Amino acid sequence: MDITIGIPRGLYYYVYYPLWKSFFDYLSIKTVTSIPTNKEILNEGIKYSVDDICVSVKCYHGHVKKLLDNKNIDYVFIPRVITESKGKHSCPKLIALPDLMKNAFINYKNKIIEGDFYIGQKEKKLLNEFLKIGRNFDIEDKEIKNAYRYAKNSFKKFLNLKLNGHNFLQALDLWEGKDIDQVEKSDLLIGIVGFPYDIYDDFLNGGLLEKLKTLSVDFIVSDMIPQFILRKQTKKIPKDLFWHQSNVALKAGLYFLAKKEIQGIIVLSSFGCGLSAIYTRLLELYNKKTVKKPLMIITIDEQTGDAGLQTRVEAFVDMIRMKLGEL
Amino acid sequence: MKKEYIYSFPRMGYSYIGFKAFFEAMDKKVIIPPPRNQEVLELGVRYSPEDMCFPFKILLGQYIKVLEEGANILISLGGYGPCRFGYYMPLHEEILRDLGYKFKTITIEPPIAPWNIGIPKFFHMLYDLLGFNSPFKLYNAGRNAVYKMLYVEQLEKKMHYLIPREVRKGETEKIFEKALDILDKSGGKNFNKIKDAFNEAKALMDNIEHIKNDNLIKIGIVGEIYMVLDHDNNLDIEKKLINMGVDIDRSLWVSSWTLHRVIYRKKHREHMMNLIKPYLGEFIGGDGQESIMNTILYKQKGYDGVIHILPFGCLPEISAKEILTNVSHDYDIPVLSLSFDEQTGEAGFVTRLEAFIDLLLQRRGEGLNEIVSGY
Repeated sequence: MDITIGIPRGLYYYVYYPLWKSFFDYLSIKTVTSIPTNKEILNEGIKYSVDDICVSVKCYHGHVKKLLDNKNIDYVFIPRVITESKGKHSCPKLIALPDLMKNAFINYKNKIIEGDFYIGQKEKKLLNEFLKIGRNFDIEDKEIKNAYRYAKNSFKKFLNLKLNGHNFLQALDLWEGKDIDQVEKSDLLIGIVGFPYDIYDDFLNGGLLEKLKTLSVDFIVSDMIPQFILRKQTKKIPKDLFWHQSNVALKAGLYFLAKKEIQGIIVLSSFGCGLSAIYTRLLELYNKKTVKKPLMIITIDEQTGDAGLQTRVEAFVDMIRMKLGEL
Repeated sequence: MKKEYIYSFPRMGYSYIGFKAFFEAMDKKVIIPPPRNQEVLELGVRYSPEDMCFPFKILLGQYIKVLEEGANILISLGGYGPCRFGYYMPLHEEILRDLGYKFKTITIEPPIAPWNIGIPKFFHMLYDLLGFNSPFKLYNAGRNAVYKMLYVEQLEKKMHYLIPREVRKGETEKIFEKALDILDKSGGKNFNKIKDAFNEAKALMDNIEHIKNDNLIKIGIVGEIYMVLDHDNNLDIEKKLINMGVDIDRSLWVSSWTLHRVIYRKKHREHMMNLIKPYLGEFIGGDGQESIMNTILYKQKGYDGVIHILPFGCLPEISAKEILTNVSHDYDIPVLSLSFDEQTGEAGFVTRLEAFIDLLLQRRGEGLNEIVSGY
C-alpha cells in the first residue's frame, strides 16, 4: 500500500512501539519514526504547547510537528492509552493527548490518526480499536484481525525479551534483529525509577544511561520488573496508586529498596510531572522509615545541563562506592 | 479516661458552615481550619512535594494548623483517579505522620473491587464517620447541613447580583458578612431556627438599595472546583470582578457538584461528552471536561466572556487550558485562563482582569472604562 504513517518518538513510543509497528507492517503500511529528540525538536515543542505542561509532553509536541511538516508522510499516528491494567488509568494529559495535538496543530487536523487503547481489559475492546484504525485505510476486517493477531504475538515476543533482563532499547534492537553490545558485569548495580519516556529519551535526561555506562555501573530499569513481583509490593503503600505507570515506578522502587544486590536508586522525573510528585515522596518516606539506601532524585527540564548532571551522577556513584568501602 | 475526638475537614469557600452544622447536630466537636494566610502557605509549601498541585499544599498547611490546635480526626473525600485528588489523603497522612503527628483519618469514597475487602472497608468508614446513632438524629443532622449549605449559596448568589448594582458602594459586602454570621450561629439542632435565621438574613439583603440593570457585562467562571469555590485562594476574584461592575456566574457550586457528579452522574456525563466530542474524546478526570462544556454553554447562554481558573500543575485543567484556546476561537468567546500558585501576586492580577473587561466592553462596542470606574 502506498501510505506512510509517522510515529512520534515520545511518551508511549517507549512502551508500545513494537505493537504498533508490527500491526502496520503486517498491513504493509510504511512507518516512519521521528528522529531522536534534539534541541530543535524540544524548542519547537515548547513553542506549540501551553507553558505549565510537563516537559515530556512539550517534547512530544515537537516530534509531532516534525512529522507533520514532512511531506512524505501521509498521516501521523497519535495513541490515546486510557488504561493499561484493570482500573488503572494513565495520566490525564496522556488521555487527552490526541485532542491536545489536534488543538495545537489545528491546520493539520486531518492528518492525525488516533487510536484509543484499553490495554489489560477485555480483548474485544482492543481489537475494536485496531479495526477502527485499519478501516481508515479501507482494509478488510479479516485482514485487520490477522494483523492484530500478528501484532499481539510479536509484542509478546518483545515483552519476553524485556523480562529476560534487557531494557527497552536493547530489547527493541534484538526484536528488530540487530545485535547488541554485551555488557560487562559490574560490581555496582543501581535501580532507575521513572517513566519509560523519561528514562530512554537520551536528550531529555542528559544521557543518564550513557553516563552510568562510562562509570561502569550496571543498572536495572523500573519497567523491566515483571508484574507478579510488583503486585507483592502493594502492602507497603497506604493505597494503590491509580495510574499504571506510576504504580510500576513506585512498586519497582520499593522492590529495589528491598533487594540487597541493588546498592542505590536514581529517581528520574520530568519537571511539571504531577504523578511523579506523589510516588517520589512515597518512596522517599518509605526509604527513610526502613532501609535508608542511597536515593537520588533527578528532575529534568528544558534546561537540564550536561555538566551539572555529570557531577551529580559521579558524586552519587562515588558515594555508594565509598559506602561499600571500595574507594 | 476516654479520649475525646475532635473532627476537622478541608475548608472550601463558605461550605464549612454546612459541614459544621452537621457535626454540631451530631454532638461532635469540630475545628474549622483557618483561611489561607502566610503561615499556612509556608507550612504547606515547605512539606509538600514541589510538583504537587496547589490545593494539596494549602490543605497540608491547614491540616498542620488544626492538628496543632488539637484535632485528631481528619475527614476528606477520596476517589480513584485519574485526577490526583483521590490520592490526597494517603499522601497527606504519610507526610503528617512523618512529621510526628498522631491522628486518624476518614476518607469518604465509594467501595471498589475486590469486593471482599472493599465492602467491609466501606462500612467501616461509614461507622467511623457516623457512629451508632439513631436514624432520626442522622436525618436531622443531614438536613440541617444540606439546608445551611443551600442557604449560604442563595445568599452568595444574591451578593453576586447586588454588588454591581448597589447604590452605596461597599454596603452589600458588609451586610453579606452579617447575614452569613446570623446563619452560621443559628440553630444547632433545631431546623426551624435555621429557617428563621435564613429569612432574617435574606430580608437584610433584600433591603439593600440597588438599581435594576440587566445590561451588564456577563462573565462565566469555570475551572477546578477548589480554586473556584475557595475565595481565599483565588484572591477573591469573584468579588473583584463584581466590584468592577460586571455580572458573574459561577459554574460550580457544592450543590450542583453533588447533583451532577453524584446523583445524576450518568446523565450528566452523557450530555457533557456529546457536547465536547469535537474537542475532547475521553474523560480526563477532575473538572477538565466540565470546564470545556461550561465554556460552550456560557456562549450559548449569551455570556460575553469566560474566566478559567486553575491551580498551577493541575493535570486535567492544563489539558483543558490547551483545548480551550480552540473552543474560544470556534465559538467566538474570549477565555482568560488564570493559573494560581503560591507566588501569584495581587497587582498584576487586577490589571489582567481589568484588561479582560476592557476587551469585553470593546467587543460589545461600548466605551472603555465607563463602567469600570468604581474600582
